[in-house]
Amino acid sequence: MTTTAHGADASQDEAGDERHGPPHVQLQVQTPRGLWSMTEPEEAPRRPDYPISTKIQVVIDDARTVFKFVENDSKYTLFLGGEMLAPERTLASYHIAPDALLVLSVQGGNA
Amino acid sequence: MSVPVSLSLETVRCELAAATAYAAAAGLELDASELSENTLQFHVVFWNMQRERFTAEFDCRDYSMYPPTIEFVDATRTLRGTPALYPAGFHGMPCVCARYNRKAYTERGGPHGDWRLVDWQLPTGNGVAIDSLAMILSDLHSKISQSAGRLG
Repeated sequence: MTTTAHGADASQDEAGDERHGPPHVQLQVQTPRGLWSMTEPEEAPRRPDYPISTKIQVVIDDARTVFKFVENDSKYTLFLGGEMLAPERTLASYHIAPDALLVLSVQGGNA
Repeated sequence: MSVPVSLSLETVRCELAAATAYAAAAGLELDASELSENTLQFHVVFWNMQRERFTAEFDCRDYSMYPPTIEFVDATRTLRGTPALYPAGFHGMPCVCARYNRKAYTERGGPHGDWRLVDWQLPTGNGVAIDSLAMILSDLHSKISQSAGRLG
């Protein structure tokens, strides 16, 4: 668990910023363009560090931003193991553990 | 026009790093143990929502000038290309009907005479361009994991 706010940059982390509110969880998200984690990619504008009340859709949107999946005519789905995560549910509802490895799958447009 | 085998092999090996990372995280089984200049192939096992197993063969001759030829095979990799080996949801030919599959093009008997092989990395519609082996695995993983049953 961590106290880092969603969207916080590295300088805030290093400053030991302390916040209140729901517990946070740090994740890893594997995408076909690479891994998103607390350290990768180096130039990522945000880190996968969320209050457990965060909806899955937010994680999907943030992973898309980090890896520049800007196309809206595609299907983006988050998986945990073999389970497809519903975008409207929260991280807490899936009991997602710290450092859990999620997978963002990306479908192209239809032929 | 064809691509030197050594160049295709180098390209595939390079791209397999990202594809392997994706496959491992997604619980797919990627087997590239036979990959060589003589056999420009690797295999990936996918599961549908009912946990039925599907093995896809990627023939990467002329990659990346041209897309791989993707075919579903049986567990022993001897029987190939029958509807029963395909997950539900794909073209009844049977075929993975996508720009990234060489089998989808008319030159291989596929339905798409309107696509050019050299354009295989272009996006379809306004979707994401499926332009690498990792992206191909992701597209197939997404489709198969959300499908139920077999094509035939």
